[in-house]
Amino acid sequence: MSEFPLVALLVWGTIVGLDLASMLQGLFNRPLVVGAVAGVMLNDPAAGLRIGVALELFALDVLPVGASRYPDYGAATVAAVALSAGQAWTAALGPSVLLGLVLAHLGGLTIVLHRRVTAWALARSEPALDRGDRGIASKVHLVGLLADLVRSAALATIGLLAATLLKHAPHLDVATQRALAIVVVAGGFVAVIGGALRRAGTARRMVWLAGGMALGVLGLGLR
Amino acid sequence: MIGGARTLLRLAALQASWTYERMQGIGIAFAMEPLLAPLEEYPERAHAARGRSAQYFNAHPFLAGAAVGALSRAELDGEPGERILRLRTALSGPLGALGDQLFWAGIVPAAMGLAMIGVTRGYGLGAIALVVLGYNALRIAVTAWGLRIGLAHGLRVAHAISESWLPRAAPRAGDVAAVLIGAAVPLVAAWLLRGSGEPIRATVLVVAGAAALGVLTLRRPLSAPALTVGAAALTLFWRWSAA
Repeated sequence: MSEFPLVALLVWGTIVGLDLASMLQGLFNRPLVVGAVAGVMLNDPAAGLRIGVALELFALDVLPVGASRYPDYGAATVAAVALSAGQAWTAALGPSVLLGLVLAHLGGLTIVLHRRVTAWALARSEPALDRGDRGIASKVHLVGLLADLVRSAALATIGLLAATLLKHAPHLDVATQRALAIVVVAGGFVAVIGGALRRAGTARRMVWLAGGMALGVLGLGLR
Repeated sequence: MIGGARTLLRLAALQASWTYERMQGIGIAFAMEPLLAPLEEYPERAHAARGRSAQYFNAHPFLAGAAVGALSRAELDGEPGERILRLRTALSGPLGALGDQLFWAGIVPAAMGLAMIGVTRGYGLGAIALVVLGYNALRIAVTAWGLRIGLAHGLRVAHAISESWLPRAAPRAGDVAAVLIGAAVPLVAAWLLRGSGEPIRATVLVVAGAAALGVLTLRRPLSAPALTVGAAALTLFWRWSAA
């Protein structure tokens, strides 16, 4: 694991895990933000931005509302950037984004575990909470926060372990690398375009979306 | 107001104790604690208020400050417990719907669209830092506004919110997000596929194919990550069998 600034990446992976729901929700869990900072930590900001943008396309399809279970792209992006750092982008994009997607799904499962741990603490304190005893709500809240801290740290550890193992795996040939890169980018656009169309809902919003796309095409010409 | 500042800080961690049973209920009780401190002189009222504050509640986390402020004001004013619980139930849905529309379907995708456009245009980390700073300033300002309006209006907070900027801004945020995400799609596609050998052809093919699949799956959404992992597995199998 010595090829990574392990402690820094672990701390960053844990912080962004807390930002998903428990603390602030200040965009620090978004793949683009996570990837940019992880890229700087790994001395490869370009890899961080590229992996961050690719995973952001998938994250834009997620609405983290109410009781839904949503993927956690925080630690997943840290691991994906760790895997891609120092490699040519065509070689790294496919495997790194795929690792990120699998880890984000695993992160979503751990959110359910976190909720169960908090529910266990809640069940133990229910009579005192309903009586209105002083300080009980804060204690249950702290248990929830600590459980999420452990969840985020564990997820970051698993992600970095997986990245280390894959970094030492045999390399794919160039044609396979390119094919995988196209597959993950196309998958990202299915996510972002599908999500934007579903969210648009009304014809008026579709017009805004189409207008935006036309502006983007114009922007390509201004390069 | 020291209680208000502490509550604002606590609202930043509102969802740490989210459960299926009470959803944000415990977080609301945690945030209300500093505001209910004056009730400590009346132990019976303080117990009853704390008991009510931990009941079921769910709204958008950034707008929950309005509920925390209004419920605290009602408790401090000695409103009947039943009316306070009814207010709690009544605020849950509208604050959730408005917040989801404003932030999750509006400001967050708009911010990320803007950041992605910035990255593709070469502004990299600077664009991301600016978006994150701006977003957090807005997020904190909205939470503080909610807390203030709740504390000022108590049981009449729903009317105060309906007369405010919020119901008008929420749908507009979605329009802005649609434009920015739309603009980001071709720019990001070209940027990601720049080194693929045939960037223009690849960009047009990928965006057009993804848009067609997006339209086809409008009524029956599919999991894009699952589709991607599946397609990658097939690609690996195809390459392996061809070798």
